[in-house]
Amino acid sequence: MIHGTVKDLMVPLSEYATVPEGSTLYEAVLALEEAQEKFDQTRYHHRAVLILDHDQRVVGKLSQLELLRALEPRNEERRRLLDIGRFGFSAAFINRLREQHRREGEILENIHRSASRLRVEDFMQSPSEGEYVEENTSLDTAIHQLVTGTHLSLLVTRQQEIVGILRMSDVFSAVFHTIKERERMDGTGALP
Amino acid sequence: MNELANLLERIIQRVNINLRELGIDVAPRVRALVPFDQMVKFYAFYGITPHHPLDLRFRHSNLAGSYFLGNIRVTNSLLYKSDIRGDELKKKGKLCGFGAVEIPLNQDEEIDIADSFLVKTLVHSSSHDPESPERFFIKDTVSTHYANIHGSPSHGCFLGPFSTVDLTTVRDCVIGTFCYIQAGEVSHLNVDPGTVWVRSPGRFNFLYRYAPDRLNEYISFLPGSAPRGLFMDFANNLKEAFQSVFDRVNVEQTARVPDSASLDRFAVTLPPTHIGENVLVAQRAYLEDAWLGTGANAQENCCILHSRLEGCNVTAHGARIIQADLDRNTFVGFNSFLRGRPERRLTVGESCIVMPHTIIDCREPVSVPAGHLVWGLITDPRELATHSVSLKHLSGIRSGFSRGNMFFEGDGALFVSAFQDRIGHILEANGAFFDGDKTLRGHAQRNQNISFNTLQPYPEGDLEGLYPTIIIQP
Repeated sequence: MIHGTVKDLMVPLSEYATVPEGSTLYEAVLALEEAQEKFDQTRYHHRAVLILDHDQRVVGKLSQLELLRALEPRNEERRRLLDIGRFGFSAAFINRLREQHRREGEILENIHRSASRLRVEDFMQSPSEGEYVEENTSLDTAIHQLVTGTHLSLLVTRQQEIVGILRMSDVFSAVFHTIKERERMDGTGALP
Repeated sequence: MNELANLLERIIQRVNINLRELGIDVAPRVRALVPFDQMVKFYAFYGITPHHPLDLRFRHSNLAGSYFLGNIRVTNSLLYKSDIRGDELKKKGKLCGFGAVEIPLNQDEEIDIADSFLVKTLVHSSSHDPESPERFFIKDTVSTHYANIHGSPSHGCFLGPFSTVDLTTVRDCVIGTFCYIQAGEVSHLNVDPGTVWVRSPGRFNFLYRYAPDRLNEYISFLPGSAPRGLFMDFANNLKEAFQSVFDRVNVEQTARVPDSASLDRFAVTLPPTHIGENVLVAQRAYLEDAWLGTGANAQENCCILHSRLEGCNVTAHGARIIQADLDRNTFVGFNSFLRGRPERRLTVGESCIVMPHTIIDCREPVSVPAGHLVWGLITDPRELATHSVSLKHLSGIRSGFSRGNMFFEGDGALFVSAFQDRIGHILEANGAFFDGDKTLRGHAQRNQNISFNTLQPYPEGDLEGLYPTIIIQP
């Protein structure tokens, strides 16, 4: 059992990387870097950027995975290539084709340059139903929500407003810290 | 007519329930397919021979223009101008092999069609599903014009026009227009039109996908309208010739048929046509100015025009061959469309394999060298080069290769031998090697004397178009 509520562990929205709708991927990466510089350096790095609308409401999230996906070269041939996985081709075979395609395809740097002009809203994930957690929810319940869901972080709400982010990395640190404390207090642990 | 309409709505509901995960509503695709008045017009018919089992049970169904042979059960279904050929069903006592396991059949296999709507569809072969060796089921399924359900039990599926499922159990799938799927077992897939997929897990995997814009010229199907394109135009142009064959009791065939060959009474032949020894011409095949050498066959819905086949040629269900010369032992797969022109004929060399659902439409003369495998859409020699491979080269492939839109992974030699074995089996089953020895008799010899009886629906009233419950046994 982990004591406390979600608000004890969340990163406040003001400390998180955010960009307005209409920003480019490049601006999103800059925001991520800037937020990290201001953030507590002893904690895990931010891994996502939140997208805000005109009213400063969160309308989407751009994770590292989505950023990398956005930077991948895309054309019809590549789309068809990625799609063949559902027909039972092995990952090794698809990787060989990708490698061949990369050698024959566009130069990666050019693709990156053009992708940096792409808009965040074309790649962001809109929040889904299981992605919200109320700030006064117990950490035990929030951990269960993370474990049974598919998200690496949850959007923390106060009434209807999003006020912070509960990250898997912070939850893991807290759990691990609690285990260590218990071991130390029991005097039975063999931890260094 | 009311009951017929109710039946259609019920089938639509059942298919939609099965396809709910894919978010597909088949209603707009299905309602435009066949007007109800057409379903009342045509008689159904069935064949009797001493060589085939006879156990037909029809309940609460429309069977307009459809043909039945063997052990078949049809319940709550609409079958429009479809061929349900149960002449390769497994017999009681046969061992059905699956891996190291051999399952004995405790009864004769039957084709069991329930709650389904089949339009101009061919159902043939036997169930290749080890979980259902005695029952070749087609349930909660809609299949559209010139689809082939070949040895493929199907539950909760929609099959687009000119699609084929071959030796594959399909569940809750949409098989797009002109798709060919031979993959053992598939479920919950929505397969894009023009996908040709042949997979044997752990052995080989072949995938080709047509560019949609090029395929649309030949066949396309949008919800709310009938299928369109050159394939449909071609089929519609033959309608009149077939109508006269179905309207007459006695049909005078113009071609001479050797004692060892079989020309179905519901095929069309126009002179000059030559039928060699051990040739099989199935019903709804169309031959005009066609030369078929010893052991060649023309299966259901085939069309051979102004062409010469030298012998032991397999022309699989729905294949069309126009202005072409095929050397011995060629295989032309399901629903392929090979069209030369008088001034630019197509030639196909000895022992070539034309993959199912291949289109060769010659804008220049095209000559496929002997011993090659061809696939996809080919209009000139340059496209032939990128859509073919020699069987010798393919047999040397051990991991995989790709060429254009074609991907192949696995053992090329296994792929080639699987095809060659199957072609050999087809020729054998069709009686291509018959030399007077009874053990070599096949469809060409057994199908020579089939008697046909007809069945009619209620002509009017609430049950108009429905056939009464009918049980036909020896």
